[in-house]
Amino acid sequence: MADESILSDDFIRQLIDVGEVDILVGVPTHNDAKTVEPAIRAIQEGIVKTFPRERAVILNADGGSNDGTPDVIMGASIDEQHRSFNGYTLRTLHAISTRYGNNPSSAAALRTILAAAELLRAKACTVICPESANIEAEGVANLLRPIYCDHFDFVAPIYRRHKFEGVLLTNLLYPMTRALFGQRVREPYASEFAFSGRLGSQFLNRHQWSEEFKDYDPELELTVTALSDGCRVCQTFLGTRSPTKRQARDLVDAMRQTVGVLFSALDGTFPMWSAKTASQPVPTKGPEFELSVDPLRINRKQLKEMFSAGVIELESVLKSILSSGTLSELQQLAKADEDQFRFHAELWVKSVYEFAASYHKAVMSRDHIVQALVPLYRGRMFTFLVENRTASAAEVGNNIESLCLEFERLKPYLLELWNGRK
Amino acid sequence: MPETQDALWYKNAVFYQVHVRAFYDSNGDGVGDFQGLAQKLDYLRDLGINAIWLMPFFPSPLRDDGYDIADYRSVHPLYGTLQDFKNFLAAAHERQLRVVMEMVLNHTSDQHAWFQESRSSRDNPRRNWYVWSETDTPYRSARIIFIDTEMSNWAWDPISKEHYWHRFFSHQPDLNYDNPAVREEMWDVMKFWLDMGVDGFRLDAVPYLIEREGTSCENLPETHIVIKELRAKLDREYPGRMLLAEANQWPADLRPYFGTGDEFHMAFHFPLMPRMFMGLKLEDRKPITEILTQTPEIPASCQWGLFLRNHDELTLEMVTDMERDYMYDSYARDKTMRLNLGIRRRLAPLLEHDRRRIELMNGMLMSLPGTPIIYYGDEIGMGDNVNLGDRNGVRTPMQWNGGWNGGFSNADPESLYSPLIQNPVYGYQAVNVLSQKRSEHSLLSWMQHMISLRRSTPLFGSGSIEFLYPKNHRVLAYVRQQGDQAILVVNNLSSSAQAVELDLRRYKGKILIEMFGGNLFPRIGDLPYLLTMGPYQFYWFKLRRI
Repeated sequence: MADESILSDDFIRQLIDVGEVDILVGVPTHNDAKTVEPAIRAIQEGIVKTFPRERAVILNADGGSNDGTPDVIMGASIDEQHRSFNGYTLRTLHAISTRYGNNPSSAAALRTILAAAELLRAKACTVICPESANIEAEGVANLLRPIYCDHFDFVAPIYRRHKFEGVLLTNLLYPMTRALFGQRVREPYASEFAFSGRLGSQFLNRHQWSEEFKDYDPELELTVTALSDGCRVCQTFLGTRSPTKRQARDLVDAMRQTVGVLFSALDGTFPMWSAKTASQPVPTKGPEFELSVDPLRINRKQLKEMFSAGVIELESVLKSILSSGTLSELQQLAKADEDQFRFHAELWVKSVYEFAASYHKAVMSRDHIVQALVPLYRGRMFTFLVENRTASAAEVGNNIESLCLEFERLKPYLLELWNGRK
Repeated sequence: MPETQDALWYKNAVFYQVHVRAFYDSNGDGVGDFQGLAQKLDYLRDLGINAIWLMPFFPSPLRDDGYDIADYRSVHPLYGTLQDFKNFLAAAHERQLRVVMEMVLNHTSDQHAWFQESRSSRDNPRRNWYVWSETDTPYRSARIIFIDTEMSNWAWDPISKEHYWHRFFSHQPDLNYDNPAVREEMWDVMKFWLDMGVDGFRLDAVPYLIEREGTSCENLPETHIVIKELRAKLDREYPGRMLLAEANQWPADLRPYFGTGDEFHMAFHFPLMPRMFMGLKLEDRKPITEILTQTPEIPASCQWGLFLRNHDELTLEMVTDMERDYMYDSYARDKTMRLNLGIRRRLAPLLEHDRRRIELMNGMLMSLPGTPIIYYGDEIGMGDNVNLGDRNGVRTPMQWNGGWNGGFSNADPESLYSPLIQNPVYGYQAVNVLSQKRSEHSLLSWMQHMISLRRSTPLFGSGSIEFLYPKNHRVLAYVRQQGDQAILVVNNLSSSAQAVELDLRRYKGKILIEMFGGNLFPRIGDLPYLLTMGPYQFYWFKLRRI
């Protein structure tokens, strides 16, 4: 354990009753009583159909629900007294619940799940989002199977998304993790994933769980840990992603939770990622990506305006972060008309890499660095939306691939920045 | 006849299943016999059992280990004479040991005189003693039981040029119980042995007595009529004798064989046995509690027969496909260990020679509701030989000592009916009665103690059972109760140490007395009762208010 016990005596007692398990399914919740049931049914069915012999537990880590969420999950136990479920396991399928605090925290929930997984010596673990109305039993099984049966260490999901959903993911998180760590994991920041007991323990004992970091989502760092530690990684297609509370966050917070975590993770993993020169696809079950192209109304104009205003207002900050050439280009861009505005890939990648290097060097408060990236991202988002407004799914896919290749091509630029040669 | 006249004697008995052929050879011909068995009765008395179940000993071509009977009123010459049997029976009764014998009602050998007459011509008076058909199409809904050897339940008779019905091997034609003459004759056969003093019958293959078109030809109402007839005659003419059913069925299908206490006194609980092994391997009580909670109540005069192993394969007919696959993977990875829908192995090899698991399984056998039946040799942990055909690998000679032929016979080893187990782990030099008698801590000594405890606690035979469901699912806990007596049984099915909290509030104020050592445990209070248990450990506690 990384710290003094975070687990209550009651929870320890529940873990004693469960004992060693093969499969652990973690469900972090906070007032999800209305939505959690489909996910729980999928989990139950996934275990019953695919792992009927295995020792399995569904573990609810609750952040202070007052709508009875834990009770819904506890009712998911299938034992000798609960035979009404359509299907059966040879063993008792446990469902246990613990409250890790009175406020939801992704970090505290994952820490609880990881700690329980370590104590129960779980071989394969998955985390399922309680809002996953679309997850199916097969999806749960597909997350766990590579870990349990094929000895992978980490399984990332792939979702069917709208072409304009997850722009931060397609324009920064995916291309950058791919370029740096050499593996093409399309959803490095997901609320559903699976991991081996070994990786879970490693992460539990290495991650900063202190109070200072309690508001940071650790999922992306878990992915980075898997990628940087030489773990066997694969992906599995889970269908259409359900809307989550996480999506409703404001952009600054989202940047902190993702880009900030990614930048932060680069420090300790430099020896590994600096040595990678190209990327490889990872084994994938199902399609590598699926995009839908239904019409979607987005206020692009506001994005451009916020970019321009940000570049002007944050000039002094950006001066400390960016090279003069990059800043100059951005300032030119800020003056451009909407029709001429194009935040091209090379400029975007260079900007991101310069931000990453400045974050590494802590040229100012790291949080301010991440916040300063927000207007730039809005500008890039504007361009992405414009460029792909009428594009087919395949064309959008090609554009994302081109951006990824740009991130890979310019990786030496990041290394030079990192080493202080620029 | 044993002194006790208790009509319900079978409810508090401990049975020992033995094959005459396999136990002790008194005349040096390589085959066990009744004189030999009689010589070993003191061993059985000392073991503590009080009822012997004899496997078939009738004249037979022995193509199915004696379950192919050629003469119901005699003893196979290899095993001795009728007089030898009578002497054995008297000697057993002198030692207060009851004797229950096998009776195969459903079929005979094709060498039986009745079948020879029946097949001799279509108008023979005994033609209708068996089930004949011009075609092999009737009763298509009936499953084939010996799927490894038989393709059909019909066999062609080249002599009378018709097909005859057989649910087991084709050399075992089924008797026709629609024929009153057959029913009368079989009762006469039973009377023949009852008059000699046998205490009961284990009736083989009971569900298959009657055939009806469009049915599975199992468990038919007409079959129950036949059994009720037999039972009524038995009660009327031989009170205190008992009938034990071999009906490998689900509990709900078995229940009718008890009737209202007017059919069988006892029936084997077939579905429980594989689930005990399954629960142990899974380290989860679920399979055991599920099957027992599905087991219907039976009349007060009736009893379940519980066993861990017997002369047959560990049958997996009464499990689901998924459970069967798990059992095969867990207990019979080597396919030579599999036979029909089962596993042809003995108790000790199934449990990997693990004394703790053997003790735990016997502990459950003795404490669950029913009468325990011990298969010969399992009390010393004998092994098996899967290289012998059919189920012969679990029917090898009893291992009495480490000397010549394991003390079983003075014959040349080559002339034994079966080779002895000789491997370094289970061979007769390593596993035998003599060496285990010399150690207070041997499995044999432990079994003696266990049987003694079981027999001195009638509650186990007739008390109710209430499962506790502690949250630790690796622990199987139940309270056996009769009147104001109660016994708490706690079994750790896990290979690792476990802590368990039991809700014993309804017994608040009572103290626990551990039954093996007599030690006191703390008094039950309001809080959950905490026990810590070693791997595969089990406790029996008397709950006493003092």
